[in-house]
Amino acid sequence: MLELRDIRLSYGNSQILKGVNLSVSRGDVVSIIGPSGTGKTTLLKCINYLARPSSGTIALDQIRMDYRRADKPTVQAIRLRTAMVFQQFNVFKNMSVIQNVMDPLIVVQRKSKEEARQIAVQELERVGLSDKLDMYPSQLSGGQLQRTGIARALAVRPDVMLFDEPTSSLDPELVGEVLKVINDVAASGMTSLLVTHEMQFAKKISNRIVFMDQGVVAAEGSPDEVFDTPSNPRLAQFLKSEVAFQ
Amino acid sequence: MNLSEMLPELILALPLTLAIMFVALIAGFFLAVLATTFRIRRVPVISQLADLYVSYARSVPVVLQLFVAFYGLPVLVALFEISDFFSPNVAAMLGLSLYHGGYLSEVMRPAYLAVDRGQHDAADSLGYGFRQKIFRVVGPQAVHIALPGYGNALIYLIHNVALVMYIGAADVMATAHLVMQRHYNQYQFETYLLLAVIYSLLCLVAWLIVRFFERRSPMYASAERQVKMPLMANV
Repeated sequence: MLELRDIRLSYGNSQILKGVNLSVSRGDVVSIIGPSGTGKTTLLKCINYLARPSSGTIALDQIRMDYRRADKPTVQAIRLRTAMVFQQFNVFKNMSVIQNVMDPLIVVQRKSKEEARQIAVQELERVGLSDKLDMYPSQLSGGQLQRTGIARALAVRPDVMLFDEPTSSLDPELVGEVLKVINDVAASGMTSLLVTHEMQFAKKISNRIVFMDQGVVAAEGSPDEVFDTPSNPRLAQFLKSEVAFQ
Repeated sequence: MNLSEMLPELILALPLTLAIMFVALIAGFFLAVLATTFRIRRVPVISQLADLYVSYARSVPVVLQLFVAFYGLPVLVALFEISDFFSPNVAAMLGLSLYHGGYLSEVMRPAYLAVDRGQHDAADSLGYGFRQKIFRVVGPQAVHIALPGYGNALIYLIHNVALVMYIGAADVMATAHLVMQRHYNQYQFETYLLLAVIYSLLCLVAWLIVRFFERRSPMYASAERQVKMPLMANV
């Protein structure tokens, strides 16, 4: 359902993405792993055009776009069907928890306030924040903020969820609560792309692992193939250092 | 001379002083929004003109800006064969509006830039249009950041209204000089002291209003505010 072809992107003289191909089927949970600075996050951001590739194509079901001729309506169509969860949460600081989830529904999807509230309450319950509806971001912990971010993303009923290192800026004791929610989302059959450094978690929830190195997909396969019998030497080295670290 | 004689005369000059102030306040605000918009969203030529305007308003002494408005604008309108409608009062309002707008733009622009890039990303990724993003997410946060700077801009504006007497507008300052001269400049200290009190009161009112809004905009404040928050997350 999601096809990325030959995505290239440079910042100044440094090439971040050097022709990345990725295809995701409906219901897939794909984890993207790899060393820092290899363009994992950038690739994810290309999907909803927060990062702007210089060339390449994207197809999300019937929506197709060549990045060299990106146009507003197509970008908007893709954005409406994908939802992103950010490393830095990016919860709207001027809104309470429930407003964060309701606002996109009212402003972008033009739903009524009642309907938006109903969906928001439901999604916030799903991430375990029913008792924090009227709190403001400055009153919440990182884990709660990230769960708000996940609820906000789920509420727009996307076809694809994009998780960009959702636990990387959390205190260790808060990681669990967020991983649990992501696990539930993945288990519900939601097509998900997850950029992560949580190797054990990626292995557990994904049906496919993509290893990126220096701006390209260096290896991919099932979790068992990638983690237990890595064929690519760079991948083997990377896994070794990650395991040593953990 | 006593207070009861001098004060009513000065009070009579207050409405004009306040009128000049309010016109500059409101017109300056809209000028600042316009200038800031074009300094953030770059449009060829217009953005450069906006830069030039802000640099003029911030770097030329305000007295000089008033003279430029008073002597320059009639020349400008004459070019378009419109009859000269510039009284000192109108020139004062225009000159101070231009000054305040430029100054304020340099309060608004940093406030806009201070809003976390991630807030833009989140709004963009959720499909907010530019206007929706500004009005619902970035704007409210930028306003909060800008408030202290806005308070300063307001106080500078009030101070600079005192300069309009140089182009012949009869504000409290000019009136005070008339009163002093009528009394052969005997009571300068008392008169200036009274003026100081009047200006302090104006600034106090402005400061109270700004502070009210600073306190009102609630929880999403700064890190210091979080520390003082009575309600803290208990995880």
